[in-house]
Amino acid sequence: MKLKKMLAVGAVVFGFASVYAQADTELEFWTMNLAPKFNDYFNKSVADFNKANPGLTAKWVDMNWDQIQPKLIASIAAGNPPALVNFNVPWVHDFAAQGNILPVDQYMGAAKNNYSVGAIKDVTVNGKVYAFPWYNSVSIIAYNKDILAKAGVKSAPKNFDEFVNDGKQITAKTGVPAYAPKLGNFVGWFYYAGLPVVENGKAVFNSPKHVAFVQKFADLYKAGVMPKDVFKVEFEQEIAAYNSGKIAMMTTAPQALKRTETDAKDIYAKTGVAKFPVDAGKMAFGAWLMDFVIPKGTKDPAAAGKLGVFLTNDAQQVAFSKATETTFPSTKKGNLDPYFQAGAKSADPVEAGRAAAAGSMDNARTLTIPPGVLPDEAAMTKKLQDEIQDAVEGRKPVKAALDEAVAAWNEKLKK
Amino acid sequence: MKTSNSYTAIAYMFLAPALILMGVLTFWPVGYNTYLAFQDYSIADGSATWNNFANFKYIAHEDLFWSALKNSLLYLLIVPVIQLAALVVAKMVNNKLPGMTLFRALFYIPVITSISIAGVVWANVYKYDGVLTWLLQSLGILHDQVNWLGEPSIALYMLMIFTFWKGIGYYMVLYLAGLQAIPAEVEEAAILDGANAFQRFWKITVPMVKPTILLCTLLSTIAAIKVYLEVIVLTKGQADTYTALYYVYDQAFRNYNFGRAAAAGVVVTFFCVLLAIVQFRMFGEEKK
Repeated sequence: MKLKKMLAVGAVVFGFASVYAQADTELEFWTMNLAPKFNDYFNKSVADFNKANPGLTAKWVDMNWDQIQPKLIASIAAGNPPALVNFNVPWVHDFAAQGNILPVDQYMGAAKNNYSVGAIKDVTVNGKVYAFPWYNSVSIIAYNKDILAKAGVKSAPKNFDEFVNDGKQITAKTGVPAYAPKLGNFVGWFYYAGLPVVENGKAVFNSPKHVAFVQKFADLYKAGVMPKDVFKVEFEQEIAAYNSGKIAMMTTAPQALKRTETDAKDIYAKTGVAKFPVDAGKMAFGAWLMDFVIPKGTKDPAAAGKLGVFLTNDAQQVAFSKATETTFPSTKKGNLDPYFQAGAKSADPVEAGRAAAAGSMDNARTLTIPPGVLPDEAAMTKKLQDEIQDAVEGRKPVKAALDEAVAAWNEKLKK
Repeated sequence: MKTSNSYTAIAYMFLAPALILMGVLTFWPVGYNTYLAFQDYSIADGSATWNNFANFKYIAHEDLFWSALKNSLLYLLIVPVIQLAALVVAKMVNNKLPGMTLFRALFYIPVITSISIAGVVWANVYKYDGVLTWLLQSLGILHDQVNWLGEPSIALYMLMIFTFWKGIGYYMVLYLAGLQAIPAEVEEAAILDGANAFQRFWKITVPMVKPTILLCTLLSTIAAIKVYLEVIVLTKGQADTYTALYYVYDQAFRNYNFGRAAAAGVVVTFFCVLLAIVQFRMFGEEKK
């Protein structure tokens, strides 16, 4: 009998204990394309968070980027979404507009001031912050010291006009194209120059300022400052052209220097590094911010917010950047970490590139039109790019090309 | 005694594996695509609602789609060229001279090369300072560098040359099979009658491989209208090389507008079927 009683009591206690253990809130967070490479970082982060927050259990799930949206929608519909989901900036705007993610200002609290200005702007929709900024990247300039010296260019350009004039001087003096900036997303270039693209539901990129800006590119193209096939240049092609000495500068993400280091040692030896200059837009070029959002209907948004603040705090972001070696924190202090700043005076381009990019991070903005603004993004982008290409390559006057693109956009925006 | 019914049943049993595969991988997608073309499809919850031809109305007024379709139809220019060349090449390598196997293999290599790898190679051929420019400059034909894939007036034709290079071996092999079915006596008799090589080709070879010509022309017509891979690996649709299937892809995977993409796909299919009918009329056996 006694035994039975003891067993019963034991069972009850055990049952309570298991119920009590169940009471731990599980916080599932999704990331895209980071497993298995960064398993160590995440396992450690999860352990640290769980230790510091009794009663909360973080659980990391990684998936392919194209599965995230459908799975999230399905989980919201089923009423069991995860605590946090790794998004890019366009998705933040998209889901915020649909009302499928929560504003996070209240969960961020004072931590909001830790993030860089550009990052917070990136994820602000209608005055509310909708995501915890996470890792990012930004363009730098890597230049061939020999070619610049031959052209009599003393230092890397400090603003966009210098960038244009240096380019002309380099090509005029050496016959080598100066650079091959990626022109595949011209909307981003307009933003970079501080010029609006769509205002009050109307396309406005045919003002005299826009025309003058595109004209700069057309002049550069005509003078041979950009290679003939500049519109085909993407990440890989630009590195290849620089590594073979066909262009004097690279305007690219800092990890490209690693490729120069391995593929073109002689060019690497005479490579200097500088920040990519900002223009009137006060934006650093080439950023693509990653972040965490809290889906609508998550069980415990406050706890999810805790995890969001933890995963994106200075220490975590620096640790993650060290793990990737190619990304940068979106926090102000994070980019001041010795890991990034040590290379500021270094002769080694990879190290110097890291410091230059970290120095640009505060102005890093993801330069895209928020989703939902363009009713037929594919066709409208195509139209704009086609007209820009015709204008830059000299087949059409700039004004006429921009007018035509604006007319085509407005016809679609009207509907 | 087996009845004809049981014969039919057995025949269908043999056909079943292929039919089931075709059903799952071809007929069902075509049917579902056609259904989607008339719907607003929401990717989020998978719901589709009838939209009263809105997708078709939209693409009817879409300049980009028409210019893309124009490029796809222009691509048909490659069909007669590639067919005639393939037939001539097949005729040339269809003899017992030494080294013929080597030539056949050489013509066939591009066919088995993956298009993305061939694309990288040809991108370097067509680069403004690439192989083609260098060749023409050293021959004194050209003075300035030409951006072969960046000039709207020529880029599409450059893609056609790539398609020609990539496809000629495939059709050559099909024609070879057709040629080897022609009895040698016919050719010998013609020689005795004093027909020259040119006459023999037009009066004997071409009529006798007519069924193969129909098949190859159909295949290359459909391939031409569906041109997309060449474009994505070489020009990304720049310089007026945007094709109808590229439009379908963009609407589906950049705009996530699957209904509109399906509608554009249906229009492309319509042209494929139309041209197939024309070709059956031209090369098909007349009903006696």
